[in-house]
Amino acid sequence: MTVTATRSRTTTLARPVRARRRPDVVRSRAAAWVAVGLIGLFGLAPIYWLVVTALTPDETAFSFPPSLIPTEVTLEHFVNLTKNEQLFGYLINSVIVSVITAVLSVIVSAYMANAFSKFLYRGRTSLMHLVLASQMFPQALLLITLYAVFSATGLLGSYAALVLSFTTFTLPLCVWMLKGIFDTVPSSLMEAAAIDGASRWRTLHQVALPLAAPGLVAAGLFAFVRAWNDFIFALTLADPERQTLPPGLVHTYLGEFQTAWPDLMAASFVVSLPVIAAFMFLQRYLVGGLTAGAVKG
Amino acid sequence: MRRLSDAQFAWLLMLPGLALFGAIITYPLVSALVTGLFEQSLVRPGRLFVGLANFADVLGGDFWPVFRNTMIFTLGATVAPFVLGYALALALNAGIRGSGFLRGLFLFPWVIPGVVVSFLWLWIFNANYGVLNGILGTRFSWLGDPDTAMLAVIVTKTWASFPWMMIMLLAGLQTMPKELHEAASVDGAGTIRRFWSVTVPHMKGIAGIVFLLEFIWNFQHFDTIYVLTGGGPAGATKTFAVAVYDTAFKGFDLGHASALGGLWMLLLLILVAIYLRREKEDAR
Repeated sequence: MTVTATRSRTTTLARPVRARRRPDVVRSRAAAWVAVGLIGLFGLAPIYWLVVTALTPDETAFSFPPSLIPTEVTLEHFVNLTKNEQLFGYLINSVIVSVITAVLSVIVSAYMANAFSKFLYRGRTSLMHLVLASQMFPQALLLITLYAVFSATGLLGSYAALVLSFTTFTLPLCVWMLKGIFDTVPSSLMEAAAIDGASRWRTLHQVALPLAAPGLVAAGLFAFVRAWNDFIFALTLADPERQTLPPGLVHTYLGEFQTAWPDLMAASFVVSLPVIAAFMFLQRYLVGGLTAGAVKG
Repeated sequence: MRRLSDAQFAWLLMLPGLALFGAIITYPLVSALVTGLFEQSLVRPGRLFVGLANFADVLGGDFWPVFRNTMIFTLGATVAPFVLGYALALALNAGIRGSGFLRGLFLFPWVIPGVVVSFLWLWIFNANYGVLNGILGTRFSWLGDPDTAMLAVIVTKTWASFPWMMIMLLAGLQTMPKELHEAASVDGAGTIRRFWSVTVPHMKGIAGIVFLLEFIWNFQHFDTIYVLTGGGPAGATKTFAVAVYDTAFKGFDLGHASALGGLWMLLLLILVAIYLRREKEDAR
């Protein structure tokens, strides 16, 4: 990276426009750093505050004005979390629901994406657009009758109600992401397998899916995060004992007379960790997947 | 066994996905729109056909203030992150050192769960101990005052979504051929002139689509508003999502919730139609 930068600068210097161009570059770099600094302050100061509050003892956390640099650091709030059995229950629920959602999403969206990528049939394009558009339907409106549907089928309050809903909501992006991946699997490979006598199922499972493995992992992680983060569906469709962390944290901490802010910030930190880890891994696929799912036709 | 045709095999592959879409999205959606024509409660069985009475009630009552709130929230929470995200994308694309690392760092507000975002800003805006009041030397209830509650909610949502704008717009900027800028520069165009005449036209497609997409998402956003203010104070932040949810699950009035939701859906469909048309043009 540095090498290319230096090289391009040298070529620019060799040009006659040199005298005009250099201050221009310097000035726009300076402007870039000012922008990064200002937006960085807005973007990162709250995260800093989350971590600082989680590490501050109760007495100092509730002093006013708060001190921006911690004078005393404690891990008591993280220890408090481990003692809270109710929170542990929410955590288990979150793990169960998110993992099943991830697995189910990958299976369902891989088949669907394969159909979109490798076969031509009537209605394919319209269906693809419909799938894309379905992520824009308002969830608060869906909930009204979904509640009734799950109630009538006896699924209301169960893990299944959450998993089925979350899987459906992850499908649009997963399908589009995986379609992009399957498009890069050469059809000649699949044709060769077919000529060798492999059935369509075998070709799909032994040729296309292994080649798409990194994409499947990315789609699974995305689905995991979607289920892990959901609030409104878990709040409404799950029993109190099957509630996941987001509504669980609201029930545990908010609405009390005095919220235990440092405990809540410590819990928030812990809840964010798996998502941050997933995204660090996903970074590579992120832009490609998002632009494919959200922007490109 | 007869061998399936390609089309039959493709439909077979899509079957589980289509079944889920049908059961979790299509049926509930259609059924919700029908419910708008009935007087129906969440807690009592049975329903009574009332025609368009619910729609008339809603249009004479909740609809307009909620529409106004939704528009203010949606516009604010779309324009602000768009501007911040665009500025940051331009800055990171200007060849400053460590931009890859910074890009990853700036993603944090966007990747942490929405409920955590809400908790964090509830704490920042706290009237008695909040760090914002600490810095300003005030003891103001930002979320409790009808004049500032919406602003506070917009700031929170802006914080959570500018990284997405940044990453999408940065992806667009990186596809821009360097020669364009160099040629303009040789012709004597300064930084600002090059931005308006080279960058903006190149970015028009992607910028338009990310703006529209964020607008659509904000138009139905629920989490942040619900946790921060619950639609209050005095209905100052009550958007469609909160109003529909509260009418159905706190007021138990499914008929009115569905009528309001139906009108909301109609507005959303217009937006989605614009999106699909733009997206088709962009793909060409």
